[in-house]
Formats: sequence, C-alpha cells, structure tokens
Amino acid sequence: MLELQHLCKSFGGVRATNDVSLTFADGSLSAIIGPNGAGKSTLFNLLTGALRPDSGRILLDGRDLVGLTRGAIVRRGIGRAFQVASIFPSLTVEETMRAAVAADRRRHFLLHRRFPLAETREKAESVLDMLGLADQRHRRAATLSHGDQKLLDVALALVLDPKVLLLDEPTAGMGPEERWQMIERVHDLWQRQRMTVVFIEHDMDIVFKIAPHIVVLCYGRVLAAGTPDAIRADEAVIAAYLGTAVDTDTGTATAAA
Amino acid sequence: MDLAALAACIANPGCVVTQATSGFIVGMLLFLVAAGLTLIFGVLKVINFAHGAFYMLGAYFAFALYQSSGSFALALIGGAAGSGVAALACERLLISRVYGGSVLMQLLVCYALVLILDDVVRMVWGNDFLSMGMPAQFQVPPLFVAGGVVPPFYLFLIAVALAIAVALGLALARTRLGKVVRAAAHNPQMVSALGINTGLIYGLVFALGGALAGMAGALAAPVRSLTPGMGFSILIDSFIVTVIGGMGSVAGALVGALLIGFIRAFGSVGFPLFTDGIMYMVMVAVLVTRPTGLFGRNAG
Amino acid sequence: MVRRAALADVLGGAAAFAVLAAVPLLIGGKAAPDFVIRCAAYGLFATSLNLLVGYGGMISFGHGMFFGLGAYAFGLLMQRTALSIPAAFALTILIAAAVATVIGAICVRLKEIYFAFVTLAFQMLIHSLIISWVGLTGGDQGLRGGIPRPVFLGVDLANRIQLYLACGAALVIGLVLMHRIVASQFGYTLRMTRDNAERAGYLGVDVVRVRLIAFVLAAVFACVGGVVMSLFVSGAYPDFADWTVSGDGMFINMLGGINVFLGPMLGTVILLLLNDTVTRLTEHDGIVLGVVILFFAIGLRKGLLDFVLDRIAERRATAVASPERG
Repeated sequence: MLELQHLCKSFGGVRATNDVSLTFADGSLSAIIGPNGAGKSTLFNLLTGALRPDSGRILLDGRDLVGLTRGAIVRRGIGRAFQVASIFPSLTVEETMRAAVAADRRRHFLLHRRFPLAETREKAESVLDMLGLADQRHRRAATLSHGDQKLLDVALALVLDPKVLLLDEPTAGMGPEERWQMIERVHDLWQRQRMTVVFIEHDMDIVFKIAPHIVVLCYGRVLAAGTPDAIRADEAVIAAYLGTAVDTDTGTATAAA
Repeated sequence: MDLAALAACIANPGCVVTQATSGFIVGMLLFLVAAGLTLIFGVLKVINFAHGAFYMLGAYFAFALYQSSGSFALALIGGAAGSGVAALACERLLISRVYGGSVLMQLLVCYALVLILDDVVRMVWGNDFLSMGMPAQFQVPPLFVAGGVVPPFYLFLIAVALAIAVALGLALARTRLGKVVRAAAHNPQMVSALGINTGLIYGLVFALGGALAGMAGALAAPVRSLTPGMGFSILIDSFIVTVIGGMGSVAGALVGALLIGFIRAFGSVGFPLFTDGIMYMVMVAVLVTRPTGLFGRNAG
Repeated sequence: MVRRAALADVLGGAAAFAVLAAVPLLIGGKAAPDFVIRCAAYGLFATSLNLLVGYGGMISFGHGMFFGLGAYAFGLLMQRTALSIPAAFALTILIAAAVATVIGAICVRLKEIYFAFVTLAFQMLIHSLIISWVGLTGGDQGLRGGIPRPVFLGVDLANRIQLYLACGAALVIGLVLMHRIVASQFGYTLRMTRDNAERAGYLGVDVVRVRLIAFVLAAVFACVGGVVMSLFVSGAYPDFADWTVSGDGMFINMLGGINVFLGPMLGTVILLLLNDTVTRLTEHDGIVLGVVILFFAIGLRKGLLDFVLDRIAERRATAVASPERG
C-alpha cells in the first residue's frame, strides 16, 4: 500500500503540493487529474525522490521513503515513466533493456563481463514481449516512433518489477487512435501484473472509462478522491474543474476554462 | 613558503599599499576580461575559449597604434575597438554556426580561433617579447602613500576600469538594450518572440565582450610584456573569476576578480610558488559549497 | 559467445602487434619506428580521452595532465629510486589513479562546461607545479640527464628495437583493454549516463560513481601514454603537461571520430602526419591546424570515421528503402 501523509512542497512561496494525504491500495489503478499547475508532476517528483518534500511522509508498505535517493526509492519498488519519453537515444531497444536489467541487478559495474550479460536476457525479453516491442529490438531508441518511445520508457520502469508504477501522461502528444492503444496496453499491463498503477491524464474520456479510482488535484490540494461516479457527483469538483458540462452517461467532461 | 615575509609585509603600511595597488590592477584587468566572458556566457550560453585572444589583440593593436601615432588615448580606443570588431567577425562568421550544437564543437571552434589568432599575431609582430613602454604623460615620479610606491599609471588604470565597471552596470540596469540583454540571458525564446533580432543581440554582446577584453589588453600593454601566448593565462584566471563570482553575473566577476588580484599580489610575497594552487583551492572551495558561484542564480 | 568476443579482441591485437613488429624489418631507417612510437603514446592518450568524451559524454579539457603526470612520475621514479621498470610502471599507474580519484571526485559532479574548464584548471595547476617545483622536476628545463633503463626479465629498453617492440606492445595491450571496457557491461552503463543521466539515476545507477570510475580508468591509460613518451625521449618536459596536449587530444578525437573505437587512433595518425608535414613547410602550423579544425567542426560536424560510417549507414538505409517504394 502506498500512503501519502500531509505532504507539502513549496517553491518560493507557491504551494505546489499542499497537505496532500492519499492512499493507493495494492493492485489499484488510479488516475490523477487536475488543471495545469495543479501539482500533478510535482507529486510524482516527490514520490520518486526527485524532489524532497518540505514536510509529510510517504509510506510504501509502512516504510517511509522521504529522504531516500532516487535510486534507493526505485529499488524499494516505485517505478516511473515520464511525460516526455525519457530514454537512451543512442542505444538500441535491446541494449536499453539489457543495460537496465543489469543496473537493477547491480551488475552494471562489471568491467570484465562483456555486454550483454546472458543473465539479463530473459527478463529483458519478457518485458519487451509484454509491451509488444520485441520486433523493434534492433532499432536505436532515437529512431522509434513517438508511441514506441513512450512504451520503451514504460518498459524501463517495468524492468525493476515495481510495486507501484507511476505514469506521467502516458498518452501525451499522441493522436486519438494511438491514445486508446496506449491506454489499453496500460490497462492490460495492470490487469496482468497486478501492480499498483497511478497515471496522470488530461483526457477525461480515458480517465472516466478506465480508472476505478480518481484523484482530483487543484492548486496543490486534493479536491476529491474516489470512484468515477463519486467524482462526477462531487460539487467541489464540478465547481472548480469539470464545470457543469458533465454528461453523466458517457462520462464526457469538458474542462472549464 | 615564506609566511614571515607575508607577516612583515602586512605589518608594514608601505608594503600593504604597494601590494594592494598591484592587487587592484591585476584584479581590474581580470575584471574587464571576465566581465565579457560572463556576459557572453550569460547571453549566448557559449564559453568563449578564445576570449584571451581578444585581450592579446587589444594589447598588440594598442602597441601598434602607440608606436605609429604616439597617442596613448588613441591606442586605448583603437585596442578596444579593434578587438571588438575582430570579435564580431569571429562570432558572425564562425561561432554563430555552432550555437545549439554540442559543447565539444563550440570548444573546438574556439580552440581553432586561439591557434589561428596566436599565429596571426606571431606573423605580424614576431615571436619575441615586445614592450610598449610607459606612455609619455605617465612618465612622472610615483606617488608615495604611507611609504608605499604607487605609479600614477596604476591609478589611471584602476580609474578607467572602475568607470567601465560602473558604466556597464548602469547600462545593463537602466538602458533598453541592457534590459533586452538581461532578458536574452534569462529566456532567449521570449526575446525572439518579442521580435527582437537575437542574432543582432548575440553579435553585439560578443563584440562588447571582445572590446572589454581588448581594453584590458590595451591598458595592460604599458605594464606587461607582449607575447603571442599572453591571452591564455588571463583566460584561465578569468574563468576562475567567473566560476567564483557566478557565471553570468557582472557583479560576481568584479568581486571574484578583486579576490584573485589580491591573492596574486599578496601571494607573491608570502608563497610565490603556491599562488596558483591557492587560486585553484579557492575555486574548488566555492564550487563545492556554492556550485553556482557567489553571485550565481542558476547552474549554467 | 562471451569468450569468443574476448578471443577476437586478443587475436586482433596479436595481428596488429605482428604488423607493428614487421615495420622496422620492412622499412629501413629510424623514421618509421619513431613515428609508430609517437603514435603509440598519443594514440593511447587520445583513445583514453575518448572513453570520457565519446562514451561518457564528459568533455575534459585537462586530460593531458595525466599524460604529463605519467611521464614525470615514471621518469622521477626511474631517476631517483632503484625500482625496476615494471615496478616503477605499476607505481606510476597507482599514482595516476590516486590523483585522478581526487581530481575526479571534485570534477565529475559538475555540469559539462564547468567540467571542461575545471579539468583545464587542474591541468594548469599541475603544469604550474611542474614549472615551479624546480628541485623535483627541473622546472622549465624538464627532467634531464636521461631516464635509466635497467634490463628487466631479459628485456633491454636501451636497445632501440626492444624499446620499439615494448611501446608497440603497450599500445596494443592498452587498446585491447580499453576495447574490452567499452564492450563490457560497465561500458554500456557509461553510455546510459551519457545519453540520459537522469533516467539512469531512476534505474538505480549511481551516475557520479560511474563517471568517477571512467575518469580514473581514462587517466590510467593516458598515463601509460605518458610513460611511453618519456621512454621514447628519455626525459619529461613541461610541454607534456601543457594544456595544448589536452587540446590536441580533443582535436585528434574530432579528427578521427568519437563514435568509433578506433576513430581516435586514426585521428592520431592524421594529426602526427599533418603536424610533421606542416611544420616542415611553414612555421605557422597554428593557422593550418586551426583551419583544419574549423573544417571538421563547422564543415563535417563530425570526425572522419564517424562521417564515413554515417554515409555507409545512409546508403544502406536508402538501398533497403528503395525496393519497398518501387
């Protein structure tokens, strides 16, 4: 279970994260929504150790993660994919995966063992298969399509067998069709791997259709958290974010300006 | 290491005055070079590895003008202007082609400029040490302050450099161009979005930096010997100055330059072999404790 | 498969050594062997620099300090102690590694432009130490009086042919070891930190540690280049530690190409040939070298081998693409 208790982070007087307390149950799939500047990415940065909270605690299975380095937090089981695919442009897909597996197994300082290590093969293969990247294995990451680059980014997070997978706008910069493909992959992954998945998403269609649990952030605060139905009915959310134009049948929402 | 000599010097007001004056001239010359370096880095995000060459050009231009005209004022202006023009030409023709490219390419282009300009100077003026000599109007007896010797030219040099420092600070703070330059340092996209020609701004800043270095070279010509490699050691010193003061900060360059000037001046009394070492240690100490320098805001 | 790759390196190295060993037999006179020895010294140095620049993305403008350090440390150990050549060689490597660890610990945390200049500043520091510590180093006169070369294990480095073979062996062994490093698991970890240090950190890679190890390894091989140089000229001079050595190293890498392992080796041969020709024709070698650098940096925008290989890759890509279109 991932538990955030009274998390706060300010940047020069601006409270990007303001007393955020949330719980993500094991094996849950949650979406985080909120207008630009709501503090969604900041929250991910706090969870992964890229930023240190001013106060508050982050408990993964009861153990506090605050103050640990990025590397240590990754090893505790929080993996992350980025809004702009964060990959290794000059390595091929296969090299990327194998180097990442070796890093996870702390074999990455080996000077006398030739790359790739045989022992990294199976794990790398299974992740590539899982995401449908296997036939791209010999291409350099820089030459992949935008969608495949995002998938490779997710694959890098999966290498570490995370308990919690954080996806920062997995569909950013994609066309409508590609978006649904991507989100189906994520949903599929979640169902098969039974890990906790938290994703940030702007597309309300996607959010209300696939996320059983939704968190609404606004100006660094948690405005509401609950099931799609509860969120749709939440007065504060309607007033502040969704506006009044919520079609409760299809879940289509238009963000108020 | 002769700390006794250093202690004796500090106890003697005459020695303090002499060394402090020399610290000031070293510092102010360094400031002029470092100010250009830091401005160019702030706006263009390029470390001008060839900056020392413009200092050298300024000194040689001043030397040539003084030899032919006998006017030191003309030599100063010509040294600064000549270096500014040379800098502008280098920026427009060569360095502008590697903006946004890898740091490796930028450093190599600048390295090539150092090789070429050093060799051009060698072709025109020869490989030997040249000495310009003290301009006639400064060939007067030195002043004695508290028993210390202060040549009038030193006072002139410090005054000119200080005046430039103040003018530069005011120009950056008050004028429209100064504001644009500061904005360009902060956010280049915004400046080009405002319809301001960034190429023009870059060229102007580079030329200004070159002219400042050339002015330093011209001012140094009467008190230093001229040699084709003279730009390099001052480049390293001014780089240390900008690291200490903070990349992109003109005020930081002034503080850092005076600090290095004083370390050099008093170090030459107390520990002549280790002045370089002390400078590097100060730089490392600043880098470790304040990686962005004393006056730096964001890490370059 | 793993073993086979190592074997290929060793066989390739043996073949290269056989070719080098044949040079003095095929070409009479001193010029060719001397040229090869200089290539060995600079080639080891430039290839080690490419570990940092090409594979690690760390642009060091002070790498020459380890070349100078190797030459001086080895020369001094041979002149002032009774150590045998292998012992002095091993101790020189340890000294270089220790110095590189201290300097690297400060430098590898810095962003690229700071890294470039702070390494340069350390180079200047070591150069000024060599110039000013006259009692130890001989100041600007350098280490004079020759470096003694006592016979060890039946090898007599005072013999020209044996010295030549030893330098050739140092080059080949050094290159094989460096090639093993870039092909190792660590080599790929280093590429990861070059491509995207932030992401590597999120994979649990200690980026600073990776860079420090690379810095120390590169320093060790650069120092071996310096040792070869000091054996060749039987001395050590402040020029070996001057910043221009680092500048030449960067230029060599640029010339040959940084994305191919042997790029710097090719660059070394070109630069030395160019230098020898140009200095024979004109005093103003700076202008010529500067123009050549500008041609590569602004014209080609990459090294020679990189350029050639990219062209080949492009041609292949079009060859594959055109039948599909047709």
